[in-house]
Amino acid sequence: MATQAPLKVPVLDYEKEMNRWKEVYKIISGPEPTIDHSPRQMVWRKNKSVLWHYPAAEKKYKIPLFFVYSLFNKPYILDISPETSVIGGLTNRGYDVYLLDWGQPGYEDNDIGLDTYVTEYLERAVKRALRHSGAEEISMVGYCLGGTIASIFTSITELPIKNLIVATVPIDFSTSVAPGKWTEGMKDGMVNIDRLADVYGTIPAEYIFMMFRSLAPFYISPYVSLLTRAHDSRFVDKWRRMNMWLNDATPFAGEAFKQFFNELSKENKLVNGGLVVAGRNVDLKNITCSFYAISSANDNLVLEPQSLPVMDLVGSEDKTYQVVQAGHVSLALTGLFAPIVDEWLSSRSEKLEGAMA
Amino acid sequence: MAKDKYDPYQSFRQMSELWEQQMNTLFQTATNNSEFVNFAKAGLESHAKYMEQLRKNQELMASVMNIPTKSDLKNIARLTIQAEEKIDALEEQIWNLQDSFKAINQENMGLFSELVKVTKQMKTELARNAKELGETKKMKAELEALRSDLAAANDLRAEIRELRTELAEANAVQAEVQELRQELAQFMMKADKEQEEKDLVLAGAAGK
Repeated sequence: MATQAPLKVPVLDYEKEMNRWKEVYKIISGPEPTIDHSPRQMVWRKNKSVLWHYPAAEKKYKIPLFFVYSLFNKPYILDISPETSVIGGLTNRGYDVYLLDWGQPGYEDNDIGLDTYVTEYLERAVKRALRHSGAEEISMVGYCLGGTIASIFTSITELPIKNLIVATVPIDFSTSVAPGKWTEGMKDGMVNIDRLADVYGTIPAEYIFMMFRSLAPFYISPYVSLLTRAHDSRFVDKWRRMNMWLNDATPFAGEAFKQFFNELSKENKLVNGGLVVAGRNVDLKNITCSFYAISSANDNLVLEPQSLPVMDLVGSEDKTYQVVQAGHVSLALTGLFAPIVDEWLSSRSEKLEGAMA
Repeated sequence: MAKDKYDPYQSFRQMSELWEQQMNTLFQTATNNSEFVNFAKAGLESHAKYMEQLRKNQELMASVMNIPTKSDLKNIARLTIQAEEKIDALEEQIWNLQDSFKAINQENMGLFSELVKVTKQMKTELARNAKELGETKKMKAELEALRSDLAAANDLRAEIRELRTELAEANAVQAEVQELRQELAQFMMKADKEQEEKDLVLAGAAGK
């Protein structure tokens, strides 16, 4: 007579559960995580902007890197933890890195437009980085909207730019992740933000946060993810840093917001032409240095069709385009960006004699 | 084994992700129309208008109460930014000056090195000239010695010429002596012939 196996009832792993809820309690009751930056020193400060220098652990390349981050977020995503820092990854690979932190504009910065940011902040900062490093040329790296600004800057500047790298960059605004009717309303002039920008002077950080959140207002999966893996303290630490950064939006100077909204987003002047910055006509054909564009396959903020047209717009002969399996934030958050940049840049950064491979 | 233990969170996670995605799609579908855009436009405009009025009233109240407003602070902050910009401009001017000095210094260094080079060259040339001068002096002395030798040679030449003249004269005398010798020989031969004839005549006469 065959005997039937007793039904196996899965049991809870109590130890794991205890760890999970301990971590959850810590997150709820504990302070915000602290961000430990890679070793750095301030080179220049203007208004709220700061130019940081991250020296190479062991310098291997003559050409330093200059990071330009988005105006919408804070740049510490590029140096969020010692293990996954993009900047730390590059300094460890032998690059001198400079980062321009735009800072948080205040009410008095309402008249800072894109042209002021490009000529009075970025151009001056690049000049200082060149002088500080003693290098004859510099490589620009732009992330997200920072890539758009770096492209505009490279197309109009007289400064010696050796390489330009842009990642998850919005260039063509004819498509976007926003619903079609919203985009249509904006392009038709039905939705006009000029009056709001004028009255606020500087768009508050909360509004910027809401603007991005409105694209996907139901936001629970990250919290469920946290709960699912709360027993893993390394994951919790990483999650907390990311969550802090995601909720840490930055205000946006009114004039720059109007220009971004009207000239880039509405009139798509980077593709259609006609964008004038500080009296200089912006034509991406003027970018003739080595050019590298990176898109994230799972980007839910900047779609690939927004980045891809840049390849036809730039005048560079040496140009490369790559799609990586990452998201808009995870490309920087996981530190994946550093080896990708290094692979392309190492042969274009003039290796120092005697530097170890 | 942990693998056999029940993890209720996995299915919860999958469900919530699905639900989140569906809710966001539903929101986008519900708002992706002209009515929503019109509503947003109206909301945006009325909010901006309200804020404008509020700011206006704030400014008015603050001026009545004689207290500074955000606009006053903005003006002060801008003065600081202007000062910073001036310092930046000055810093860049200093860079230009530094670069000019550096360029001038480099030029001067080039000039100095050229000067040193020329001086060294001149020194070498001077030493060579001094050496050449010594040699010239030596040559001059040798030349003078040669000249005196030449004068002596000229004297010798004159003497030789004289000797040659004398020799020529001696040759002429020798020729004359030769001629006389020939004439004497001829005369002697003639005298011998005449003696022979005379002897023959005498012998002939004695024979008769």
